[in-house]
Amino acid sequence: MATIKKKIKNKGNIAVWGRTLLLILLALTIVFPLYMTVIIAFKQPTEMTNDVSGALALPRHFSFQNFIQAIQTTDFFHTIGNSLFITIVTLIVVVIFHSMAAYAIGRKMNKHKSFNFLYLYFISGMFVPFSMLMLPLVKETSIIGIDNKLGLIILYTVFFFPMNLLLYTGYLKNIPLALEEAAYVDGATTWTTFWKVIFPLLKPMHATVIVLTALSVWNDVMTPLVILSGGSGKDTTLPLAQLLFQTQFGTNYNLAFASYLLALVPILILYLFAQKQIINGVVNGSVK
Amino acid sequence: MANLSLSHVNKVYDNGFEAVKDFNLEIEDKEFIIFVGPSGCGKSTTLRMIAGLEDISSGELKIDGKVMNDVEPKDRDIAMVFQNYALYPHMTVFDNMAFGLKLRKLPKEEIKEKVVHAAKILDLEHLLDRKPSALSGGQRQRVAMGRAIVRNPKVFLMDEPLSNLDAKLRVQMRQEISKLHRQLGTTIIYVTHDQTEAMTLGTRIVVMKDGVVQQIDTPYNLYNKPKNMFVAGFIGSPQMNLLDATCKVKDDEAYLEVGNNKINLPKEKSEKLIKENYADKKIVMGIRPEDIYDRESLESDVDKVMLHAKVSDMEMLGAETFLYFDINGNSITARVDPKTTIKTGDTAEIALDIHKIHLFDKETSKTIIN
Repeated sequence: MATIKKKIKNKGNIAVWGRTLLLILLALTIVFPLYMTVIIAFKQPTEMTNDVSGALALPRHFSFQNFIQAIQTTDFFHTIGNSLFITIVTLIVVVIFHSMAAYAIGRKMNKHKSFNFLYLYFISGMFVPFSMLMLPLVKETSIIGIDNKLGLIILYTVFFFPMNLLLYTGYLKNIPLALEEAAYVDGATTWTTFWKVIFPLLKPMHATVIVLTALSVWNDVMTPLVILSGGSGKDTTLPLAQLLFQTQFGTNYNLAFASYLLALVPILILYLFAQKQIINGVVNGSVK
Repeated sequence: MANLSLSHVNKVYDNGFEAVKDFNLEIEDKEFIIFVGPSGCGKSTTLRMIAGLEDISSGELKIDGKVMNDVEPKDRDIAMVFQNYALYPHMTVFDNMAFGLKLRKLPKEEIKEKVVHAAKILDLEHLLDRKPSALSGGQRQRVAMGRAIVRNPKVFLMDEPLSNLDAKLRVQMRQEISKLHRQLGTTIIYVTHDQTEAMTLGTRIVVMKDGVVQQIDTPYNLYNKPKNMFVAGFIGSPQMNLLDATCKVKDDEAYLEVGNNKINLPKEKSEKLIKENYADKKIVMGIRPEDIYDRESLESDVDKVMLHAKVSDMEMLGAETFLYFDINGNSITARVDPKTTIKTGDTAEIALDIHKIHLFDKETSKTIIN
């Protein structure tokens, strides 16, 4: 009996060690590039070497020179302002309108075929590659005269609708219909029911939608690159400005990485806030 | 405070399923009406039609004389308590109860006064700042009631409000609902599948099956004068014993043959059978478990029919004992004194009270005589 227990214990130990090792490896795949980014951001171009020990070594002395230069080169405060404006407005529009649309479609799709068709139609948008739409969109936006921030916000609102619709309708299934019925009996209209009951209950999904949409919008290079190309550059977003570091003749990694780290800060802060909401949402959901 | 009338109400779903068929009911002010029946009998659908949460396919619903078929739920002046309480999880108890009043744009002071008053009635005062997730099942149930009470509606609708509570709490809440009805004097329509709730709470009970009303009557009449076999079997626990029998007539007196046993009938039952030509026809005999006695506790055998049967099982419940007999393939239950010395496997002599026998038509299931 004792030996069996010991064997089980040993087996358990091996499994735990195996899992720990795997997690360490997975963590390394994230930590290592991050480490490289940080040290390169602080190094001088002269410190960049091709041998492994040199590449991994810490910078000889830490200076924020690269960051200052990156801020100047990218016109940081202007471009991050554009990026923030586009991201924040997109998020507000997306959360309000996508949740409203998802509520209408999600609650009716089981009863009405037309809503079910709408659902499938919009979801199918996920499978259309951007490159296919790119050229017509460039033409369209420039003809209408929205090859600017406004155009980007509109395009993002459309691009992220399929995924957000999927997320919101999926989460709506967890919200009992009885809550809405209770609100109707209490005297609410559909409009008030949505804003007073459903919208607050979608909070965990708002957090998810915000994080996913913000990440994609914030980091997107392609859309601003093609849409804003006609503009004078006043609408340039941060990732677009960061393209400056990659020239035909080489890349200034030190400046580029310093700039990437700067660009990481707002999205990291957002994630830290939203993460708490997501976890809260999961906990609330478990208590019926 | 309102009268309610449903006439020829039907509910047909898009797929053709008829959930409620020709429902007719007049509800007087301050009545406590219970809709009872097995799952899927249409009782909740009827309640939801009254609430306005389901469309009425045909027929007419009137509240206080006004036709309500196409009136929005919010304009019907009703309040509903849901099976899963449907409390808004993101609001405190106070906000949950105040929600309906806020929507009606009542002054803040009045809302507070009403909510606190309702909270006092339901003993929720100390919980007003809590969220529903921090409440026990019984407390949530009371908040759901509170949300209905503060509105002071014409009609209260309750959809199996106690079915999520444990047995002990259910008894307690049942008494509280009964007390509330006396206190508030509002018309209540209450849906349940629990016949104990139905019998204890209702002033009148509507028994439904497959969308059709079987009987609308007082609890006493439902138990003692069921209109058909379904009601007889549904109301009462353990349920009424129903035995296949053949009606025989000899010398102008009808009696029943149940297997090899001959069961004489009292005069009025015998006459009714002869008058309605049931001679030599198959009918169903019903008798409640408490109308079957074991020999030992029998004080007099006048008007009793004695049968011999083997006890296949017994259940001791403390205050009473259930004996399960097998008579010609029919299982019958007797509720007897717990002092009985009969044991499982014994062949015992049992007595049926012939005055308490109910007779049903086997084909139509309708009652011939109670």
